[in-house]
Amino acid sequence: MSKSKNKISTCYTSMECDSCKIIKKRKYSKGDIVFSTSEDCSECNGKMLITKIFGVTMD
Amino acid sequence: MEILGYNFDEFLTWVGEDIDTLMMLVWILPVIIFVFYGQRIQLIISSNEIKKDIGKLEEYTALTKKDFLNYVKNNLVSKSDPLKKLDSFFDYFTIMPVDLDPNGIILKINHLVRSREDFIRLQINGMFSNLSSIELSKLQNLLEIVTTLQLFYKHTRHLYLTAKKQKNFPLILPLQMMIPFIMEEAVALKDAMPAIKNGQPIGDGIGPMIVGQMMLGIRKESVAFETVWSKTTFEDRDLFLLKAEGPNATVGRPGDGLEKIISIKKPDLVIMIDASLKLEGEDSASIAKGFGAAIGGIGTERFKIEEIATKNQIPILALVVKQSIHEAITLMTKEIADSAQTVKDELYEMIRENTTTKQSVLVIGVGNTIGVSQ
Repeated sequence: MSKSKNKISTCYTSMECDSCKIIKKRKYSKGDIVFSTSEDCSECNGKMLITKIFGVTMD
Repeated sequence: MEILGYNFDEFLTWVGEDIDTLMMLVWILPVIIFVFYGQRIQLIISSNEIKKDIGKLEEYTALTKKDFLNYVKNNLVSKSDPLKKLDSFFDYFTIMPVDLDPNGIILKINHLVRSREDFIRLQINGMFSNLSSIELSKLQNLLEIVTTLQLFYKHTRHLYLTAKKQKNFPLILPLQMMIPFIMEEAVALKDAMPAIKNGQPIGDGIGPMIVGQMMLGIRKESVAFETVWSKTTFEDRDLFLLKAEGPNATVGRPGDGLEKIISIKKPDLVIMIDASLKLEGEDSASIAKGFGAAIGGIGTERFKIEEIATKNQIPILALVVKQSIHEAITLMTKEIADSAQTVKDELYEMIRENTTTKQSVLVIGVGNTIGVSQ
């Protein structure tokens, strides 16, 4: 989480299951890399592929 | 009424008779002041504004320096005390080649920049044990941020102090004009630190992100230093994909990569995807198409790509995602990340429109690929 003046930016990781294609979003955790498989899918036996890492800024 | 021997009653009577004379005096006095002291007053006002910004630059330099040294101390295992050596790196400078005879200057600049990179890489590598290539590239980026901020601070202060010392108002004018742009870049550099330290993608990484996604599940080969490429097909066309090797904090060497790919098979079209600085009033994450090599930096890579393309008569098309300087070097925003699919659709449309079946296309994802694998 970075802070610039009164703006706070939170980093999120967006993942997609390679099997059931479900998309999930969670807070970024250290070691996340775009296009790496991070964890198992909670809906099926597939692997979740990180598709995006981005920041959302709130004033 | 007498004050200091002066009869004010007489004066007031005279004024009452001739109010215009008093008004003339009221107007003439400031005019005289401004004629003789106008520049000095402007200098005081302008220099006060600039002084505040120089104070901020000093603060950013100290803050990023402290941040960088703390990161090194807490995350890396050093062979000896690295702080003193790293501190000396902040003051390193580069003397650009003589441009009185510009013939061959690109090769000289290229040699100079690469020598500097190699030197820093070698020095940092020698300082720490078990340093991964990702950490090494991150350190190089962090060092670049601190050095650039220090350079901004020192140069701005020099111009300010020279103008003040010589009481030279015209000297402060260019600084007054440039300072908002310097500050915009300085704030962006300061805010870039957390994303680089954490290895998170930055706005500039949109090009490598799109090409990296296209590379998924395909064999990747190293084609130049910190640069990879892949071969695939798209609607009966050969598709060559080129990007910097992620998730390192690097832009790779796309010029060298193109040179090697050309020697294997000449593509019929080159498409470059990059982040581009938006103009004021333009929307962030908007997409633009154009002609020519979309690549920033000092100009050596662009020169190489343009030269190879010209020599081989290959057209170059560009697809850019517009963003501000702040967005380009800080954590990638959601809007920019979401634009990836649209850019990909535009890219495929571009390939369909500009090539026929059996032809080949080289797609280059330009930018810093930190946090983005392939």
